[in-house]
Amino acid sequence: MNAIEADGLRRTYRQRTGWLSPKLIETEAVRGVSLSVARGELFGLLGPNGAGKTTTIKMLNTLLIPTAGTARVAGFDVVRQTREVRRRIGYVFGGDRGLYDRLSGLDNLRYFAELYGVPPREQRRRIAELLDLVGLAGRERERVEGYSRGMRQRLHIARGLLHEPQVLFLDEPSIGVDPVAARELRRTIADLAATGTTVLLTTHYMAEADELCDRIAVIAGGVIRALGTPAELKGGTGTLEDAYVSIVGEVQPA
Amino acid sequence: MSAIGPGTTPATTTGVRAERAIAAGASAARVVIVGALLHVKQLSRSPFEIATAFIVPLVQATLAVYLFRAGTEPHLLLEAAVGAGLMGVWSSVLFGSGGAIQNQRWQGTLEMLMIAPRPAVLTLLPVTLANAVTGTYAMLGTLAWGWALYGITPDFRDPLGFVAAAAGCVAGLGMFGLLLAATFVLLRNANALTNTLEYPIWLVSGMLVPISALPGWTGPIAAVLPTTWGARAVREAAAGGPIWPSLAACLAIGAACLALGTLALVHVERRARVTATLALA
Amino acid sequence: MSRLIGLGGVIAYRALFNWTSPAMFTGTLLASPLFQLLFFAYLGRQLGVADDTFYIVGNAVLSASVACVFGGTMAVANERRFGTLGHVLLSPRSRTAIFLGRVLPYALNGLLVAAFTLSAGALLLGLRIPPGAVPGLLVVLAAGSLSCGFFGLTLGAIGLRFRDVWLVSNVATSLMLLLTGVNIPLNRLPAWMGALGDLLPITHAARAARALVSGQGAVPADLGAEAVVGLGYAVTAGVLLKVFEAESRRRASLDTL
Repeated sequence: MNAIEADGLRRTYRQRTGWLSPKLIETEAVRGVSLSVARGELFGLLGPNGAGKTTTIKMLNTLLIPTAGTARVAGFDVVRQTREVRRRIGYVFGGDRGLYDRLSGLDNLRYFAELYGVPPREQRRRIAELLDLVGLAGRERERVEGYSRGMRQRLHIARGLLHEPQVLFLDEPSIGVDPVAARELRRTIADLAATGTTVLLTTHYMAEADELCDRIAVIAGGVIRALGTPAELKGGTGTLEDAYVSIVGEVQPA
Repeated sequence: MSAIGPGTTPATTTGVRAERAIAAGASAARVVIVGALLHVKQLSRSPFEIATAFIVPLVQATLAVYLFRAGTEPHLLLEAAVGAGLMGVWSSVLFGSGGAIQNQRWQGTLEMLMIAPRPAVLTLLPVTLANAVTGTYAMLGTLAWGWALYGITPDFRDPLGFVAAAAGCVAGLGMFGLLLAATFVLLRNANALTNTLEYPIWLVSGMLVPISALPGWTGPIAAVLPTTWGARAVREAAAGGPIWPSLAACLAIGAACLALGTLALVHVERRARVTATLALA
Repeated sequence: MSRLIGLGGVIAYRALFNWTSPAMFTGTLLASPLFQLLFFAYLGRQLGVADDTFYIVGNAVLSASVACVFGGTMAVANERRFGTLGHVLLSPRSRTAIFLGRVLPYALNGLLVAAFTLSAGALLLGLRIPPGAVPGLLVVLAAGSLSCGFFGLTLGAIGLRFRDVWLVSNVATSLMLLLTGVNIPLNRLPAWMGALGDLLPITHAARAARALVSGQGAVPADLGAEAVVGLGYAVTAGVLLKVFEAESRRRASLDTL
């Protein structure tokens, strides 16, 4: 059984604009994405801004209901069996939002450990392990508002791993992270995949994708334009960046 | 799950089920308590929240003191201080329920809460409870203010009853807040609607003083508002009267709100997943 | 120049509509003040402080305060919130004119709110307003709204020095409930509170409006006092904004302050 199975996912956003005579604007963010990710695989999703990467992830992690198509994560339907899916997934997104700023890193982890159903007896050990893993041990009692971007990002990752998820969704985790921290981050991700966690990663950094991913899908305009191992995409010559630009360039008039 | 295998009798299955239910209940209670404490911590560290929670009720307490003095019943000054405190508790619950969810959305934590493998009610009840708890800062503030500036000694008829009534009122209003929150969660600018609901609830539930001259049709509304009963219990503890029936009514209505809010949240969560209103962008 | 004031105002006002829907806007600015009026009118009846006319007229005049004070504050604060403060301050046109202009639509809105609250409150509670008093009332409400708007602008300018602009306006609007003599007759407050009230917008306008509704008619002194208060805040706001502008240029701290 694959860890992630998506079949013909589509997502349309409706937006109301104007307040005197509201108009309904429809945008098709994702227009038929099918993919499958094997257990323990590290799968990359590349594409320009607005290509539909985040929307795809949010359909897979139950935050959005697809307009059409179906998906299963760890064998459970993402629309109907949300509780089962949520027990088995972790979600980490880039940027510095999504944390309780006036609480300490430790308090943030405690709260989410409780929410994510980590048994009370295991919480202390698990949190200590994760603080070590992401290199925040010793800083956990400081308030998050004083954390650097890289520290926040690492706290995000620790939170995403609290309940030892089978499938981890990483949405641009390295955005705004300095090069040293980014390297640490890549090592952490690689270790996770090596120990059997399935990872779906989106990123703008080609080197990162090239180094980490078993397979990569390039998505643009809401559809997958190319899918394969980094070597297959590169086609023997050039870099992943060259391959990416030529794939995306075909569809982006910009 | 439904099959009873060889060697198990219906009785032990029931026992196992009961055990599981207790474990689930304990786990749910832990989430709510730990969550509420951490949200109280988060709120209490915001200079804005604290200043608003203190200063505005103090102005209202002053207003109440002079109103009562100017009026025909100047001897009820303790009620003015208690009433102004209750008004502050309601404001905190109201703005908390509208604003906290919006705040979670702005902080980007709403998605992280919704993605937890828990019913949405367990992730939002701590937020609204925390707002009711921080609302008691207003009560402490107005009582201290009244004592220090106007010599209103807080000599409650039933001091222990007062603490119990205040705690029950906080719990009842926190649960009411959840129902409000469920209603607000799909609205992008909920604080505009919350502004509207501040005065009517103060008025109809007789928070500062029960108003006998209100039109008859407001009676049934007052009777189903937990704020009416909570305020009555607190006032009875302060000035004398049967606290427990009012407190029980407040908690019972609160529990009904919790049940309704839980149902509403199931629908709300699904709708939010369809309309993509969990995230800011 | 007048075009600059007017147009700048209209654009800023539309920006306000961008982040709130018409239903919400109506709820906050029309329904809330009406509930506030009812709250104090019934409280006044219950406690026997003053009659309905006192509360209806006073709270109607005060009802402009939320729209105007928050509006005036918003005129400054939103520029910072949306990161456009730097652009406005660096624009070659007169900054003071731009900001004073931003107040006009909020004041106009406040006037509408006050007129609505007065009509609705009078209808609901059965207060008869003499038709002859209507033109005078409109002038008084307009004066109150405008001076509230400038008061808000002053608070907004002060707010630039603090992190929480809205705390300042929240506290200010609640103080207005206490100090403008709208809910407690000023002679029942300690003298120093009454004196503070005389320096706030609305106080004099509310007194003038009450005189008009009761048919006394003689209001020029109160109206004049309201105008002086409003003018005072306009000048204060202008000076504060100029000081702030000079300071921020010197310290290069437009948006980080």
